Amino acid sequence: MTFTLVQVIVGGLLLGAVYALFSSGLTLVWGMMNVVNFAHGDFVMLGMYVAFVVYTLLGGGPLIGAPLATLLLATLGVIVYFGLIRDIMKGPMLAQILGTFGLALLLRYSVFWWFGANFLSLPENLVGGTFDIFGIRIQASRLLAGVVALLVTFGLHLLLTRTTLGSRMLAVAEDATAAQLMGIRPDGMQAIAWAIAAGATGLAGALIATFFYIVPTVGETLGIVAFVTVSLGGFGSVPGALVAGLLIGVIESLSGYLIGAVYKDIVVYALFLGFLWFRPQGLMGKT
Amino acid sequence: MLLDARGVTKAFGSFKAVDAASVTLEQGDILGLIGPNGAGKSTFFNCLTGDLALTSGQVLFEDHDITELLPEARARLGLARTFQVPQTFEGMTVLENVMIGAFLRTPHRAEAEARARSVLERVGMMRLADAPARSLGTPGRKRLEIARALATEPKVLLLDEAMAGLTQREVQLAIDLVRDIHRSGITLVIVEHIMEVIMSLASRVMVFHQGKEIARGSPREVTSDPAVIAAYLGTRAAKAAAGHTPIELMGGPAT
Amino acid sequence: MRRTLWLLIALALVVAYPLVFTTPFQQRLGALVLLYAIAASAWNIVGGYAGQISVGHVVFFGSGAYAAMGAYAHFALSPLIGIPAGIVFAVLIAAVIGGPTLRLSGHYFSMATIAVAELARLIVTNTEYLGAAVGLSGPTVPRNVFDMSFISALPYYYLFLAILIITLGITWWMTSSRMGFYLRAIKDSERAARSLGAPASRTKLYAYMLSAGLTSVAGALYAMIFGFVDPESGLGILISVKILIMAALGGAGLLFGPFVGAAILVPLEEISNSLLGGKGAGLTFVVYGAIIVLIARFQPGGILALINRLWAKRRAKPTEESISKEASHAS
Repeated sequence: MTFTLVQVIVGGLLLGAVYALFSSGLTLVWGMMNVVNFAHGDFVMLGMYVAFVVYTLLGGGPLIGAPLATLLLATLGVIVYFGLIRDIMKGPMLAQILGTFGLALLLRYSVFWWFGANFLSLPENLVGGTFDIFGIRIQASRLLAGVVALLVTFGLHLLLTRTTLGSRMLAVAEDATAAQLMGIRPDGMQAIAWAIAAGATGLAGALIATFFYIVPTVGETLGIVAFVTVSLGGFGSVPGALVAGLLIGVIESLSGYLIGAVYKDIVVYALFLGFLWFRPQGLMGKT
Repeated sequence: MLLDARGVTKAFGSFKAVDAASVTLEQGDILGLIGPNGAGKSTFFNCLTGDLALTSGQVLFEDHDITELLPEARARLGLARTFQVPQTFEGMTVLENVMIGAFLRTPHRAEAEARARSVLERVGMMRLADAPARSLGTPGRKRLEIARALATEPKVLLLDEAMAGLTQREVQLAIDLVRDIHRSGITLVIVEHIMEVIMSLASRVMVFHQGKEIARGSPREVTSDPAVIAAYLGTRAAKAAAGHTPIELMGGPAT
Repeated sequence: MRRTLWLLIALALVVAYPLVFTTPFQQRLGALVLLYAIAASAWNIVGGYAGQISVGHVVFFGSGAYAAMGAYAHFALSPLIGIPAGIVFAVLIAAVIGGPTLRLSGHYFSMATIAVAELARLIVTNTEYLGAAVGLSGPTVPRNVFDMSFISALPYYYLFLAILIITLGITWWMTSSRMGFYLRAIKDSERAARSLGAPASRTKLYAYMLSAGLTSVAGALYAMIFGFVDPESGLGILISVKILIMAALGGAGLLFGPFVGAAILVPLEEISNSLLGGKGAGLTFVVYGAIIVLIARFQPGGILALINRLWAKRRAKPTEESISKEASHAS
């Protein structure tokens, strides 16, 4: 009993790390330019399908699939920034929400049209099998996904706080006009932010695809997870997203285990609403 | 006493933008709030209007505690304001902008329209009543701000840099308008950068520096106060230096 | 005067439509246009006029649909009886969601509405009383006219038209009242509106509740014409999306915007579905997505706003110049 519980918690943490990874992309874009990307979950979905195609149709492994998904999604992020976001950012909020929401539909149903509505999944032993650590059984695929996601999210935090690029991006976030006066191109920095944010979703998608069900509408569920994570962690905060992501992973696993799989999403959504209600500034935000 | 602010403090994190400022306002006053950029006068102003919540302190209006009241509730009591950067309702006509103010005292559209028209008449914008508000330039927008506020039939009107960005002639016209408003029995609080405006309008002046009140008195008294002169000169010197070191502009993010 | 004339002509055309286009497909199509126009017009009150983008309006749609079918399935009553119950339920939900979230920045509101809609769908899917995944059905064989079960689409058409007119009437009445003025002011600058005494949170909440109630009526009508409701058709997020897109495409914040949007998109979807069959469902939403992206990018005001602008430009060029001239002389 205790072992199972520990196993559930560890599983939740590993899944939560992946949540943290793609949520940090959402929080970065939101914090930096006050744009909420309603297509964020569908970016993750695209990452999953890229990985699926590489793993099954092209015969490549995660070593090829993950970098390729990251790269393709990062490119998509830049295209979306220059093609859409840059213009709707300055417009009314209706345009912002519509624009990214329309993008979500476009992506979701393009995949639906191409691959159909069926649930797909990858062979379980794609990334090694399952092994025991102190009697806790962990799938290699989940372990790999969790560890890589954790490292990359932490790396993202370092990138933003310890590098010149990071401080330039934060300068744009703080005051785009002032940054421009210092010779920083806000456009360039914002495009990089979109590349990073979308790249993170691509990687997360490729990682999660090794053990998660794959379906065109999965982006909707994952998008809401990202919103919950960001609103819990406080918008614009990568460490916040990390803590919140892990927490949600654990809560989801526990409620799935304790009250049944169908209720785990209900718990997460209810949690989200509760938070919006009582603590809209997020778990780590200031009043 | 019309307005009484006691020990108003507003902190953003550990930074105190306004530190224990107090002020009283009597019927018929024109109080000027001055100080260098970032001295806290705008923050103090927004604490009075309810746009910012106080960290500590108390604001009384006609002996009622209004510290916890929202801006709309303060407006109902008779506190009106304008914005430094005009917050014009872009999608409306000039008349409709003023009607929003007039609706505070009447729920009826026709009545609100009649009142709005008479306010426009008073501020000399009648001919523009049906023009889209977004077609106005800065002077027109600043004047529209005042018209809207007047339409709420305030007892106290707080003007936040109502003259900034106006030409010499436009400033003179605006001063005349403020005098006219004052004559009609409305008490005024004005935040202003232009000294000439303060000198010619204010009956009393309060000087802010680094979040604290450093002087108060008649315009003549405060302008000869050594602390005030030091505050202004000091800031000017710092400003000149800042012009040459771009790093100053970066503020927080670099650290 | 001119406007009234155009309105009367438009009304005459809408009334005559099902008498001119008499095939069942055409009549049904007309009824569906009106139905979605009702829902989109209801959304318009909070999304268009108040500028609060609800992406979860399907919750209200669903409460109307489930109330109508529930009245029949559980109490053997006419689905019409369910309408007031649906309204009450929808308005209550709106009060509960809107109370806290309408105070926050707009994004939070949009996200909260999505979460509520999904939560409702998941809960209903797991609730036996509401038919779980299968849903609830209406009367298969009508006992009397109040069962609202007709083979022809014609009765639905005129019922929907009447409700649409009522919805637009309420909207028009609201926009020309103080509440409507306040909403427009809040949309432009909430801070300024508050400073002038507009109770912003309360006004937005009232608009949201009004919109919710009207949307639930649309949901009840939907369930009546289709004769059943299940979690997908009554609470699926795509219903919200359709409603929102129709309003935005036609012109959010304009009285007839949602109707114009519905009149374009509903035929588009019905025709593409009947041409492409099952495979078309995906493609329809690809097209929907592309349309929304294009509106957001190039014409965020919607089609009707564009037409209005072109119209105004053609007719009133000189006045506009004289206005800006006068404006620069002011003060």
